[in-house]
Amino acid sequence: MRITTLGSYPKIPADNGPSVRTAIQRFERRSIGLTQLEQTIRDRTHHVIQLAETHRLDVTSDGMIRWNDMFDGVVRDVDNVQSAGLLRFLDNNFYYRHPLVRGRLSFQGGVVRWWLTQAVALSTVPLKAVLPGPFTFLQLSQDDSYHNRQALLDDVVEVLRLEANSLLDTGIQEIQWDEPALAYYPEWNIREVKETLTTLTKNLSVTQSLALYWGSGIHRWIEPLATSGFSRLYLDAVSDTEVVPRLRAEPLPVEVGLGLIDARQVKKESVSELVKQLEPILRVQGESRVWLHPNGGLELLPPDHAEGKVHVLSQVRDAVVTAPRNGGLR
Amino acid sequence: MAETLKTTSVGSFPKPPSLVKARQRFRRQEISLQDLRVAEQEATKEVIRLQETLGIDVLVHGEMERGDMVAYFAENWQGFTESLPVRSYGNRYYHKPVVTDRVNYQGPTGLTVESWRAAQAQTKKPIKGMLTGPYTICDWSFNDFYPDRRSLIFDLAHLVHQEAMALAAAGAEYIQIDEPAISTRPQELDLAIEAMEIVTRNLPAHTISHICYGDFDAIYPALLDLPVKQLDLEAANGQFQLLEILRRVPWPKDKELAIGVVDVHSHRLESVDEVKAGILRALEIVPADHLYIDPDCGLKTRTWEEAVQKLTVIQHAVDQVRKEEGLK
Repeated sequence: MRITTLGSYPKIPADNGPSVRTAIQRFERRSIGLTQLEQTIRDRTHHVIQLAETHRLDVTSDGMIRWNDMFDGVVRDVDNVQSAGLLRFLDNNFYYRHPLVRGRLSFQGGVVRWWLTQAVALSTVPLKAVLPGPFTFLQLSQDDSYHNRQALLDDVVEVLRLEANSLLDTGIQEIQWDEPALAYYPEWNIREVKETLTTLTKNLSVTQSLALYWGSGIHRWIEPLATSGFSRLYLDAVSDTEVVPRLRAEPLPVEVGLGLIDARQVKKESVSELVKQLEPILRVQGESRVWLHPNGGLELLPPDHAEGKVHVLSQVRDAVVTAPRNGGLR
Repeated sequence: MAETLKTTSVGSFPKPPSLVKARQRFRRQEISLQDLRVAEQEATKEVIRLQETLGIDVLVHGEMERGDMVAYFAENWQGFTESLPVRSYGNRYYHKPVVTDRVNYQGPTGLTVESWRAAQAQTKKPIKGMLTGPYTICDWSFNDFYPDRRSLIFDLAHLVHQEAMALAAAGAEYIQIDEPAISTRPQELDLAIEAMEIVTRNLPAHTISHICYGDFDAIYPALLDLPVKQLDLEAANGQFQLLEILRRVPWPKDKELAIGVVDVHSHRLESVDEVKAGILRALEIVPADHLYIDPDCGLKTRTWEEAVQKLTVIQHAVDQVRKEEGLK
């Protein structure tokens, strides 16, 4: 069994250490310059990667320290879309600037690529890029130009593919497409989603994963999206309690990630309980095809608790490795 | 007789530099709590002077004594501990409370009465009593004690009710119970309404609830069942698209609407014309004497100068609309 984080991580330290929050405040007061701000962001990113090293994560994100929200980097890379007013991010007390589409989208590129190039240079752990999926982009943006859902969706898919392509030689090992909107909102045309995501992932020469979190509608996507070009599905098993029984039922033709660590509550999970939940899934899916992760980015937690959740990940992994199974110790 | 079109403000104001400094010095134990209170009162006077100068009708005290609208209550009530900061957007963070025990008063009720009373003493215009609603306090806290959200929300509702009654007993004519989180989970709207029924039960005041940054599409018109006299909603932030949602059903005769016409999370200063256009659109839906005009949300994230500019634009736009539409 392997372990990973899903995306964002607190930009402030639990105790001493680089704080992006403080650096931005100082930058705005003109008491530090751009170079010092940039150095703090790099130091914080390095801290996230060091944490992944310490806990021997198999793949990590860079903590998305440079992103204000899940759309930020992509919006900067695409022409004719801007970050507009703040809106609540699904059911969280976290707010994103909604993408406002003002004209036909075209890809400019360079920002996310540069951000990830910097992060890869700091990392000894395989690093993944985390990008918004087309349906979440569509659902949470405002269209003031196309007035034609299909035309906008087609162009969103194309610019996201261009974004993904621009990242391929940065050294990243995986692109994780985040589609919380598919989990959160109930009404989707399953066929359209499957076809669109198949187009999104087609012929991109990198491992691609899909993350579904923060909704009770995750289980219904498992079967249709297991064959849409993704190497693995990261599934929030806290918000949707149907996920675990589905994964216990039959093997899937794709690797599966279980978001059993609650990234939105400070309550610490019991390692033994988690191992107990995982055992039957490991048996059915095959141990090498199962991942464990939090059920979302860890930035919605205070930094001490975020770190604690990463620690739980590694404890569960270690417990699984040493657990007696199939008649013997592993 | 001409109808009136009133202006108000949502709640918080930016803390002037003198108060920011006093708060820092208090944290470093360089000044006493009494010194801090004096600095807060001075800042409150400034907030009230500004609103009176601009001609705003229903005033707020500016929440100079509060850091965060949820953390303030958590800090002063039993059952909460404070976490390290959590980011809410951009470079804004808050200490998200953790519920670790049964919530209750720490001392006598009326936590907010003193600051309201001190503010009201500065003006003849009404000052709103400002509270945070039980649903939002629950939603913006980590729950590490209660078995479910419902039981926590109801315990909080009883505390907020007592606080509201204390404000009313002190003479507060307008009492605002902010529930920005109410649009977070449409499936829990009935729970939030039930909790608000507890809060406003037998409350002898003009009740208001401010709600913002949510999925109004999913909760409207059911939101009209919230037992308050006035709903205060943000519109500028979403280019006034909210008004199209409000058009779905005729606006109820017994409800008032306060509508946000400037974005409080943008440095950009709106023009008088665009604010005026928003007000005129709102007037197509709600009659003037049931309509209040204000910013989208509390102004604390703006600089003092930005807050003054945005409120001035609102007041100019309202003055022009009053003149052109024959309103008072």
